[in-house]
Amino acid sequence: MAAVGTGKKRKFIVSGRNEYVPDASEELVDTRHAYQDEYFLTSITNDDDSSDEDDEELDESGKNDDDGDDEVVFEDDDGEESGSEDSGASSLGDEITGDADYDSGSDYSEYGSEETEHEEEGEVEEEEEEEEEAEERKNDESSKGIKVSDKSEEKESAQSKPLFKLKQTTSSKINKSSTKLSSTILRNGNKKNVMNELAQADENRTIQQADDEYKSDTSDEEDIRNTVGNIPMNWYDDYKHLGYDWDGKKVMKPLKEDELDSFLKRMEDPNFWRTVRDPQTGQDVVLSDADVDIIQRLQAQKIPDANFDDAAPWVEWFTSEVMQTPIVRVPDHKRSFLPSRIEARKVAKMVHAIKMGWMKPQEEKKKSYEPKFFMLWQTDEGVEHMRRIQNHIPAPKRHLPGHAESYNPPPEYLFDKRELKEWNKLRTTPWKRKLHFIPQKYNSLRAVPAYDRFVNERFQRCLDLYLCPRARKMRLTIQPEDLLPQLPNPKDLQPFPTVMSMVYEGHTDMVRSITVESKGQYMVSGSDDLTVKVWEISTGRCLRTIPVGGVVRSVSWCPNQALALIAVAADRKVLLVNPGVGDHLVCSKTDVLLEEAPEQDVVVSERVKTAVQWEQASEDVWKNGIRVIINHFKEVKQVAWHGRGDYFATVMPEGQNRSVIIHQLSKRRSQVPFSKSKGLVQCVLFHPIRPFFFVATQKHVRVYDLAKQELVKKLHSNSKWISSIAIHPGGDNLLVGTYDRKMLWFDLDLSTKPYQTLRLHGTAVRGVAYHKQYPLFASGSDDRSLIICHGMVYNDLLQNPLIVPLKRLSNHEPYNDFGIFDVIFHPTQPWVFSSGADKTIRLYT
Amino acid sequence: MAVQLQVRFITKQRKYAVPNTPFTVPSSVGSNELNSLINELLKGNDPEKCYREIDFDFLVYGEVLRVPLSDHLEEHSISSEVTVDVEYFERVPAPEPHDCLLHDDWVSAVQVRDGWILSGCYDNTLHLWTAKGKHQLTIPGHTGPVKAVAWVTHDDMLATFVSASHDQTAMLWEWNVSTNAVECIHVCRGHERGLECAGVSPCQSRMATGGWDTHLKIWSADIHEKSNEGRESVSKRLKTEHGMSQVRTPLMTLKGHKEAISAVQWTDTSEICTASWDHTLRLWDTVIGGIKSEIVGNKSFFDASWSPLSGMLITASADKHIRLYDPRSNEGSLVKSTFTSHTQWVQSVRWSTIEDHLFISGSYDQQVKLWDSRSPKAPLFDLTGHDGKVLCCDWSKPELIVSGGSDNTLRIFHSNQHK
Repeated sequence: MAAVGTGKKRKFIVSGRNEYVPDASEELVDTRHAYQDEYFLTSITNDDDSSDEDDEELDESGKNDDDGDDEVVFEDDDGEESGSEDSGASSLGDEITGDADYDSGSDYSEYGSEETEHEEEGEVEEEEEEEEEAEERKNDESSKGIKVSDKSEEKESAQSKPLFKLKQTTSSKINKSSTKLSSTILRNGNKKNVMNELAQADENRTIQQADDEYKSDTSDEEDIRNTVGNIPMNWYDDYKHLGYDWDGKKVMKPLKEDELDSFLKRMEDPNFWRTVRDPQTGQDVVLSDADVDIIQRLQAQKIPDANFDDAAPWVEWFTSEVMQTPIVRVPDHKRSFLPSRIEARKVAKMVHAIKMGWMKPQEEKKKSYEPKFFMLWQTDEGVEHMRRIQNHIPAPKRHLPGHAESYNPPPEYLFDKRELKEWNKLRTTPWKRKLHFIPQKYNSLRAVPAYDRFVNERFQRCLDLYLCPRARKMRLTIQPEDLLPQLPNPKDLQPFPTVMSMVYEGHTDMVRSITVESKGQYMVSGSDDLTVKVWEISTGRCLRTIPVGGVVRSVSWCPNQALALIAVAADRKVLLVNPGVGDHLVCSKTDVLLEEAPEQDVVVSERVKTAVQWEQASEDVWKNGIRVIINHFKEVKQVAWHGRGDYFATVMPEGQNRSVIIHQLSKRRSQVPFSKSKGLVQCVLFHPIRPFFFVATQKHVRVYDLAKQELVKKLHSNSKWISSIAIHPGGDNLLVGTYDRKMLWFDLDLSTKPYQTLRLHGTAVRGVAYHKQYPLFASGSDDRSLIICHGMVYNDLLQNPLIVPLKRLSNHEPYNDFGIFDVIFHPTQPWVFSSGADKTIRLYT
Repeated sequence: MAVQLQVRFITKQRKYAVPNTPFTVPSSVGSNELNSLINELLKGNDPEKCYREIDFDFLVYGEVLRVPLSDHLEEHSISSEVTVDVEYFERVPAPEPHDCLLHDDWVSAVQVRDGWILSGCYDNTLHLWTAKGKHQLTIPGHTGPVKAVAWVTHDDMLATFVSASHDQTAMLWEWNVSTNAVECIHVCRGHERGLECAGVSPCQSRMATGGWDTHLKIWSADIHEKSNEGRESVSKRLKTEHGMSQVRTPLMTLKGHKEAISAVQWTDTSEICTASWDHTLRLWDTVIGGIKSEIVGNKSFFDASWSPLSGMLITASADKHIRLYDPRSNEGSLVKSTFTSHTQWVQSVRWSTIEDHLFISGSYDQQVKLWDSRSPKAPLFDLTGHDGKVLCCDWSKPELIVSGGSDNTLRIFHSNQHK
């Protein structure tokens, strides 16, 4: 009674909170039915899934237990309320204890044990239960009669409360009784449901129904009418009962209807189609319209609830889009928008690792993940790289076996007698044998015996490998081009002479020497045909021919612009010739100057007097232009003017210690500068700026300071025979041509050894020359070729001269193995003249 | 498969005009084929059937057509798809060798005026010839090779001319045509070295000389002018030396060249153009006595000729090329065009006096060549005949091309030009 009361009250409290309205209860009933129907349906449709169903039920029961706790709390509240209303205050202490008991009993584990305890007292309580049942019926009846109102409920609760309190000492009993009740009520309820729907029962009934429904609210209470559990029900096929109820009594099978009955039922009962048998209880259940509707909806694969709008617009509460004001009302934490220090530290570490190469960025990593293929067998040629042995030198390869090694060699490989004899002869020196074995013939491979020398040879091989010293031979691959210095392109060094432009023809014998006027209009040549010719450069016209009565070995134009004078070395004479070209005034002044010899006030020493005699030209040679004749005691090979044009030096190679004589024109005086012969003097040269005098002997060039009267330098030519020298207009570089085909460039500041040796010519170099303005020098040789070189001298003392061979010009005709005798540049234009043994002078521009 | 080209013929000579319609010709067509085409067209035009065949030259994109048309266009990198304008003009007739005047020595200077040929020789003499080749006079007087001669005035009775020589003097001569007597009126002294060139101003009252002393000197060319006499005391002394002739001193000395002046020509009454061995061409103003402008080449100049018709300057330098300069333009390359055909130094060049584009050149390769300035690849005609270097040439009289050389001859060609 009390339990039922509590259940009722509980429900009402809940419903009261929900502002219970009868209509609403109707709905509730419907849903409940729906729930039940659903349950049945599922149990019908899939029997196999019954276990799952039970699990769910268990879960639900657990939940319901929790609910039960809550309910108790509510109840307590009510109890307190009721207590305040109640007169019997003495029951409070019991109430508290009862509560405690109930709490302990709420746990399932203790549940059973308590139950057993209570079962000991079993029979007494059963009687009480019967009383309770009776009271409940009464109550039901009374509630049926009375229209339910809040007041009556309160009364009921007031009545039931004390009862409950008394009974709560055995909570398990309550549960049991409630389940028992619920099962019975359900039966009633189902019937009533059907009734309800069919007959549209009055409101009282509805409430009743609702009450019944709520009595069996919890699923465990509702379902567990048969306690056999989730077993195949066919196990009970042979029995009369279906299982056991909560009290352990058999749930009997309903009477089995025979076919006739069922047929009649089918015929007569309009609800036969919606009648379903509950396998658990064996009862027939008539499904309501709503149930049928739900079943139909389910069969149509629709949502069971008809009221549920599955096409309702979707409310996207949490969108992927970033909203201006997010749904969450809590503002973001400060942390969320402050950069994280820890992360920054991590990133910095990563960046550092990437920088140091410990970590690789993603892309590079990917590459390294690419499958690596290892060469299993390397080629025979390639050097095998071993991890441990560096610079491994592989053993020499053995020869592959040839025909001779075959077990069945062709007959020509087999030794004949002679070869065998030879083989045997070399027994003591086996390494001299051509083969280290005797080829042998077997009919089949099967007949081949074991190789008796195998171990021996393997041992020898090991010895070879072990004892043979192996060294890595480094091979240098030097391209010939790499050895050549980097030189600028000759095209960039223009202008320089490239083509022959003019041939000056007229001499009848070799032209040994040429000289060009300082203005560049005229040229003078001296030849073996005993004449000196004056040429107009631009037209090639021979303006004048001066017979000098000797082989002209050297001509030199006086550099003094105020004089028109040429020094001509012809045999033993040196002639000073006025060519009569150029400025007439200068010519006439020269004549005036040389007309009379100045008076000699100095006593000329005997040594000089015997070597040189000055002589005024006689009338008949005067008209030819010869003004002064200087007789030498030996054949004069060279005349060289000093830059000012007053002094000139003559060279007589055979003159012993008087081979070099310096003449002064203005005083008509001569002196012999050297007392001792240093060798066979080849040529001499005045320094263009400083008072230096260069004397070239066969192998050396000596530089004397004329002012200090001392030897300044001795240049070693490293050659056998110097032929000619030329000095750079700057005065710091000397060019030396030698008969042994070389051309030497001396940098006087640098060293006494040649700065560069040019071996450009095939035969003896006979003439070398510098250009006065352009960075050019040229050399003429017996191989008839004139070679033009670029010779740039820089003002920067640290920079070495740049020497670039530019052009080889070979236009001269061969004549008695001689080629070019003399080379001279035009003073102003980048033109060069060469005089050759072919009687011509050629101009290259 | 021959490519077809669209050509349109135009001409400035109205009498040879053909319809303006474009013609399609194969691209391999040369000037000969075009010539026959034009002639056919003209023959069709001529109603009287007495048409005389004329040779034409064809000008395509400013250059005379010498190769097949497609090659020509390729050279100028012109698309063959456009219509090509081909200008044609009557071909310059070939000069005919006319005469050979023998001298005693190298002929180094020549100038023609009105049927009279004046030549200078390396044997220090001047020679006067008629255009027919008759020797008129031998004029001694110089003491060095004559390097330049120039007519000053000429009429039926009297003629004056100037000669410059290596003896450092220029001489002004008066020649009485009727009596065939020549007289040295003035000796121009002042140069310190040999003279190379002489030029007479268009007004015929001034002349300029240049030489190896690098100075350009301007003299009065008027025979009767005596104003500058007595300016220098030397002149009187010199006058006595030379008897009849009076010594003349320069009106002006223009210094600036660093090396020998090889050519001088008056371009105006107060403007002189000079070429020098120092690789420069200069324009001088005689009024202010200074340099107007300068063109720097990279070779020594041996000769230069300025054309009053086109205002262009052609030069001969120490190589085988003839170069065309435009003294008026400062933009672009200095050398407008290079004419290469000679194999040796070119010693002298002369513009035609009547044709814009024609000039002659004499070279050390014994050739005189007639050029069209629009055809730089090849000359129009090679005038052969000399046996030695050609030292001088002249085309002052349009009908006569004369050249002197180191073979001691003066050769005369008739240029046969209509006009």
